[in-house]
Amino acid sequence: MITPNVKLADSNIIVKAEKVNKYFGSLHVLKDIDIEVRKNEVVVIIGPSGSGKSTFLRCINHLEKINSGHIYVNGHMIGYHDQNGKLVEDSERNIARQRAEIGMVFQRFNLFPHLTAIENIIEAPTRVRKTPADQARADGERLLARVGLADKRDQYPNQLSGGQQQRVAIARALAMKPSLMLFDEPTSALDPEMIGEVLDVMKELAHEMTMVVVSHEMGFARAAANRIVFVDEGQIIEQASPEEFFANPHSDRTRLFLSQILH
Amino acid sequence: MYHFDWLVFFKYIWPPTALQDPLIRNGLIVTVAVSVIAQALGVVLGLFAALGKMSKFVVFRWISEIYIWYFRGTPLLVQMSLLFFGLGVTHIYDFPDLKFGALVITGAIQAGTLALGINEGAYMAEIVRAGIESIDAGQMEAAKSLGMTFGLAMQRIVLPQAAKVIIPPLGNEFNNMMKTTSLMVVISAGELFFGFEQVNARIFKPFELFIAASLYYLALTTVWSFIQARIESGLGERKGIERGPGMMQRLFSGSSGKGVR
Repeated sequence: MITPNVKLADSNIIVKAEKVNKYFGSLHVLKDIDIEVRKNEVVVIIGPSGSGKSTFLRCINHLEKINSGHIYVNGHMIGYHDQNGKLVEDSERNIARQRAEIGMVFQRFNLFPHLTAIENIIEAPTRVRKTPADQARADGERLLARVGLADKRDQYPNQLSGGQQQRVAIARALAMKPSLMLFDEPTSALDPEMIGEVLDVMKELAHEMTMVVVSHEMGFARAAANRIVFVDEGQIIEQASPEEFFANPHSDRTRLFLSQILH
Repeated sequence: MYHFDWLVFFKYIWPPTALQDPLIRNGLIVTVAVSVIAQALGVVLGLFAALGKMSKFVVFRWISEIYIWYFRGTPLLVQMSLLFFGLGVTHIYDFPDLKFGALVITGAIQAGTLALGINEGAYMAEIVRAGIESIDAGQMEAAKSLGMTFGLAMQRIVLPQAAKVIIPPLGNEFNNMMKTTSLMVVISAGELFFGFEQVNARIFKPFELFIAASLYYLALTTVWSFIQARIESGLGERKGIERGPGMMQRLFSGSSGKGVR
């Protein structure tokens, strides 16, 4: 089992990042990132491209390694454990076990093209969680219905539109019953007319899930976020509720960014 | 003027009469059986070598690199001789005959199959690696983000997709394999070419007999080309991959002809 190196006192904190630094070679992409995400909170991270926001998201489930600092998910340090004061990368099995609790939705969907929609959804529950196939299938069909795709159950990804693929990808992530959902620019690869259907599913989800969303969709941020975090050049510049953030941005960089995207 | 012996020629190209000769009949069986087993061994070894090459553990990477380097960098004929005669003379392994009821697998067949399979593994490694690397990295990331380990993600997500990329060149490898089994003649393993050699030793008609021998190999590779085309078009229909070359192109384009390794 996962050994809790540091059990956070507050079980309402789902994600906690402390002084996270990351480099790509000599490029310092994340600079002392500190953030907390509470249970059922929806945090939208915005910022210019190349600001490190996607990289940070990928660090939360250890798809990217961090160079220093700590990230805790559900009170457990992710990807590393403390060994005599030194951080050592966790075993693959432990990392996989932690990732099973964290759903992730990718910009390019990353559905498994050789599996049908329902097979995409039940693959991990049956193989990782060892859920019996008929139960996983029943759960999967409920999830497909929830994202409005009950009739696409037996279609392969290449038979679905981009928006439909992304909704299947959301259902696939939800099938693991994660305690946290990460969305990495989930609508950036979509044709404009399909963005709405994906955002609608996400808004619905926002009522009941803890979510960290990297997105350029300011409408979604306004409607669904509890907090907006603005990141630029690997640093958190400011964070506030959407009302506060849009009405009264504190930093010049935030104002500049907002003026560029809101016209 | 050389007197072409049509009688011998027809006797040995016409299967019903040729296969009455146990040397030819058994030779054909050995050639096909050894090809299939050696190719299967090559696929398994190639898969391990490919994964080893991509491993994060330096020891596995080195083992794979050295394996591929050695077996691609030395002649198969030498490898086979070393394995059979070399190990035999040192008594490291004598290759005793294996008996399964009436079926006897001679030491030479075992050594030949092993040498062909190990050699093939070094070539398959590159094919498998290219297949794996052709799959978008997002597939592995998505699988991992769902809590799958590397091994499970490979087995369930990446390899089934890579198989579509691997199968066409694998078919070409098998085509080569059937021809390459003829090298086993040097260890007297009793395959098809050895059969014709033995008949030739008896009646000395090398021109007639070796034309006949070549036509048997041509028949094997041609039949295989048809099977391969069926497999690939089946793959294409199910999963939407590119269609392989047509039958005529496959037979006459001459793109896959390779010499002795």
